[in-house]
Amino acid sequence: MTMIELRDLNAHYGKVHVLQGVNLHVGHGESVALLGRNGVGKTTTLKAIMGLVRPTGGSVFFDGREISKLRPYQIPRAGVGYVPQGRGIFPMLSVEDNLFVGLSKRPPQDIIDYIFDRFPRLRERLKQSGGTLSGGEQQMLAIARCLVMQPKLIILDEPTEGIMPILVKEIRREIDAVRKTGVSILLVEQNIKTALSLCSRVYLMEKGLIAHEASSTDLEKDSDTLHRFLGVDV
Amino acid sequence: MDLVFALALNGIVWGLIIALIALGLSIIFGLLDIINIAHGDFFMVGTVLAWTVLQTTGNYWLAFLLVPIIGFGLGLLINHAVIQPIKNAAALSIVATFGLSIILQESVRATYGAAPNRLVAPIQETLLLFGIQYEVYRIFAAAIAIFAICVFFGFLHKTKLGTWMRAVRFDPEIATAMGIPAHRIYMVTFGIGFAMAALGGVVAAPITTVDFQGGIDILPFCFMAVIIGGLGNLEGTVAAAVLLAFVEGIITSFTDPTIARIGSLIFMSAVLIVRPHGIFVGATR
Repeated sequence: MTMIELRDLNAHYGKVHVLQGVNLHVGHGESVALLGRNGVGKTTTLKAIMGLVRPTGGSVFFDGREISKLRPYQIPRAGVGYVPQGRGIFPMLSVEDNLFVGLSKRPPQDIIDYIFDRFPRLRERLKQSGGTLSGGEQQMLAIARCLVMQPKLIILDEPTEGIMPILVKEIRREIDAVRKTGVSILLVEQNIKTALSLCSRVYLMEKGLIAHEASSTDLEKDSDTLHRFLGVDV
Repeated sequence: MDLVFALALNGIVWGLIIALIALGLSIIFGLLDIINIAHGDFFMVGTVLAWTVLQTTGNYWLAFLLVPIIGFGLGLLINHAVIQPIKNAAALSIVATFGLSIILQESVRATYGAAPNRLVAPIQETLLLFGIQYEVYRIFAAAIAIFAICVFFGFLHKTKLGTWMRAVRFDPEIATAMGIPAHRIYMVTFGIGFAMAALGGVVAAPITTVDFQGGIDILPFCFMAVIIGGLGNLEGTVAAAVLLAFVEGIITSFTDPTIARIGSLIFMSAVLIVRPHGIFVGATR
């Protein structure tokens, strides 16, 4: 069963044709990485899914329903969680307000308990403003903010970018824990090791297109492909 | 000395009313990036509606309830018809709201006539205050303005809608990606901006004249308060409005109001030279 499917997705920034027919899918409970060099259209693909960049062609189906025609604010409410690049915390809002910002009322207590069990530091800093948290704590908050909305799919855009190495492990562990609960994951990540360890399947992007698809285990061994599309060895 | 004191007191009262109106201007600018040239006319519409309520019902107190509601509705309508089509185009917003200003003024002139009207204050008593007989209504007007400003800040910081307004103001894209209907927040914000200016009109109508050009003098004062207060800083806007009106009140007791206004403009220029981002830098948290 497919959780999300992008069919021939196109997007433009002015006259620049950024996405030139992206096709990909993520299954129920599956974790998929979207990798590629800078500027190939990874973030634009995620923004197009969220409706933040209006697709100029193609469609996005989520859980059997076309979401590319919805208003952007309806997409997270339909069950697509988004952890944006740079975390997107509102620095002037308290941790509590940040956490529940997307909800019109507080979530059930068991959800709140689950979140605070997973991220106990957030409970300690509930009244602090979001801007006073460290980068790692902000990333935890961004993930927690996404989880309180009980999404079926979480889209993460470079969650370990700019995070202290000691906290990267912690964030990786949290994403893995989310994955194990059965929530589907679509991950954009510059850290190839993190992406391959968290995801079972990988799409490689080049010039606004999906250029290659492989399982993580196959790709790990395929140094030619890694070199060609990412310029790295694992 | 009594005159200086009375004018200083008048300045504070007027400053609080201006603060209420300027807050509306500031939230519209902060959230929608709209430089609203018609904001003074929203105040003027408030005074005219207050006058109409009094003429129709004979009860001025009703205007405190009805006019902000009507103002909110008019704000929603104007947002839909004028503001949304030019969103994200600050330069166009000046032209569009200038046009809106003319439409509002001429509509009022066509409907109510060009002659200024004066309202009798609903409270006629005076109070002996530090040796001068001071109008109780002016004290009431100041109290209403303070109350409305406090309610506004309470709304902004303690309600979900207020939290959404602050989130959209900071980053509309991320706010949308969290499920916040930013387009509705824009709409409500414009409505609240109009309602606050209209309430300012109701409060001020008995201490000023009611006429179709009543907003012309208010607009530069509001802009000065927003600029000196630090663009986007709502608390700064309130402080700057009260400070400016107080200083103008004092200067007016020694010279004429035009010189006092020139003094305010010089003060604003000096502030902008020393602190280009206003006295109270930074957006409201």
